[in-house]
Amino acid sequence: MYNDSSFIAIFHKQINYYRVSVLTLQNISKSYGKIQALNKLSFEIPPGCVFGVLGPNGSGKTTLLSIILDVLKADTGNFLWFGQPGSPEQRKKIGSLLETPNFYHYLSAVNNLKITNSISGRGSANAIDDVLQKVNLYERRNSRFSSYSLGMKQRLAIAAALLGEPKVLVLDEPTNGLDPVGIAEIRELMIALNKQGHTIIMASHLLDEVEKVCTHVAILKRGELITTGHVNDVLVDDDIVEIGADNIDALAAAVYSYRQDIKVTRDENKIQLILPKGTAKLDEINSYCFSKDIVLNHLLFKKKRLEAKFFELTNN
Amino acid sequence: MKIKKYPAFWWVMGITALTYPGINYMFIGVYKNITEQQSSSGQIVKALIGNPFSFPEAWRTVAYFSSLFVFIPAIVIILLITNEYTYKTNRQNIIDGWSRRTFLTGKLFDVIILSVIVTALYFVVALVIGLSNTTHPAADNWKLAYYTGLFALQTFSQLSLAFMVGLLIRKSFIALAVFAFYFIIAEPISVNVLKYKYKNEIGEYFPLEISHRLLPKPAFIGRINQDAYNSALKAVNSHIFYTLILILITWAFCFWINNRRDL
Repeated sequence: MYNDSSFIAIFHKQINYYRVSVLTLQNISKSYGKIQALNKLSFEIPPGCVFGVLGPNGSGKTTLLSIILDVLKADTGNFLWFGQPGSPEQRKKIGSLLETPNFYHYLSAVNNLKITNSISGRGSANAIDDVLQKVNLYERRNSRFSSYSLGMKQRLAIAAALLGEPKVLVLDEPTNGLDPVGIAEIRELMIALNKQGHTIIMASHLLDEVEKVCTHVAILKRGELITTGHVNDVLVDDDIVEIGADNIDALAAAVYSYRQDIKVTRDENKIQLILPKGTAKLDEINSYCFSKDIVLNHLLFKKKRLEAKFFELTNN
Repeated sequence: MKIKKYPAFWWVMGITALTYPGINYMFIGVYKNITEQQSSSGQIVKALIGNPFSFPEAWRTVAYFSSLFVFIPAIVIILLITNEYTYKTNRQNIIDGWSRRTFLTGKLFDVIILSVIVTALYFVVALVIGLSNTTHPAADNWKLAYYTGLFALQTFSQLSLAFMVGLLIRKSFIALAVFAFYFIIAEPISVNVLKYKYKNEIGEYFPLEISHRLLPKPAFIGRINQDAYNSALKAVNSHIFYTLILILITWAFCFWINNRRDL
């Protein structure tokens, strides 16, 4: 039986387990000669999320994942897995796919996964069959890796990451090279794993993928962290209202005082009001302009595309 | 499993298994051609050099000729490390939970295993050649069997250097070309130019030459210059020490560089 103090201690331990970040990055910098690949990157990844590292090509996503997996050495800064400095023992518990599928070309899928199993201690002979079935490679399990198509190689890499059902998965462009059905399957698999409590850290340059799969996101641009947070906060798709009137200058002057939380852009004939998602009310805008003695001859609601938001964030 | 199922390993081991007896039997053929002549010159040669392929001299002769072909197993060693870089499997091993030190320790064992296999092959070839060329079994058949240890040390030292070249260069063909050029051309020419043109013995301490001197030329070649041969025999003990130091430096450098650089 537990006494009160030991019960409280266990309770606090459990609470701390759930509180402690899966991964904490502290001022990580890395350069390749004159190229600054990462510049003082700091953020945390909470447990139980699907965390997307989003950025255009060359933004430092793979460099970041390589550092947290000890493939690359950071020039400065450090990182903590579950509050502890990175170590081989921790990596054994993390399923990872980094950049390209890396396997022994002369070995079969099963033998390659046996090597993964012998190094990491994750999984078993039965688990190898299970993951190969999960990624639809079971029929070709005894074929040499060198005979696989790009999509099959990617599937094997995902199988290796899933071996032994690790609680944390690090996946770099996981749907790279897959056909549309494969992409959908992998995305569904990631969502299902997340529902089972797995934390997934995923790098992608596909905004659509991050939006569909991730709960949290960090956006990188040329090695700098642009923003990070919950996907719904970071990748909010603003409302855009396009308006026009005979006297465009008077309209512009009027709308600047309409609301504090809007952005206004204009060209020769039209004005665009950018409002937070779900807050655009066309009748209210029309009434407001009319109250300022301006009759609108153009009023159009547009939903801002996420791509536009991404381009805006990364200035591409 | 990495080695066991690697086709290139078995191909090169097959070539090695043919080369080691092949080169020795080739020299036996040359020796027999000369000494079996009934002419006076043939009989003089026979009296002068004895039979270098009978015990106990067979241990030294076979070790010397076999050691000239260490670049063949060196191909496997270079491929074993450069393939890890080509296919980025070294990265995957680290990602899966090995430390860099564990990865390189595994490679060190690969080099040891291959050195043992090559030495075992030498031992069998020397034994078979010695037995088949010794007409009167004598008590000193095993007198020079310690050359097995010297052969093992030289093989391990030179394969370690091959490994270092592969680790540094990372590209298979460039590493193979660099090692072959250095092994076959650059070092032998440098050592001899320094020795004969500049009367400088510094070549004795060149990376391959250090262990090359563990296995002096067979006695019958040594008789051409008996003084030089005797001093070569005397130098073996100090070269055992130099070779051990070189092996330590080679692997310390390999561990240091593997630990420092990005994968």
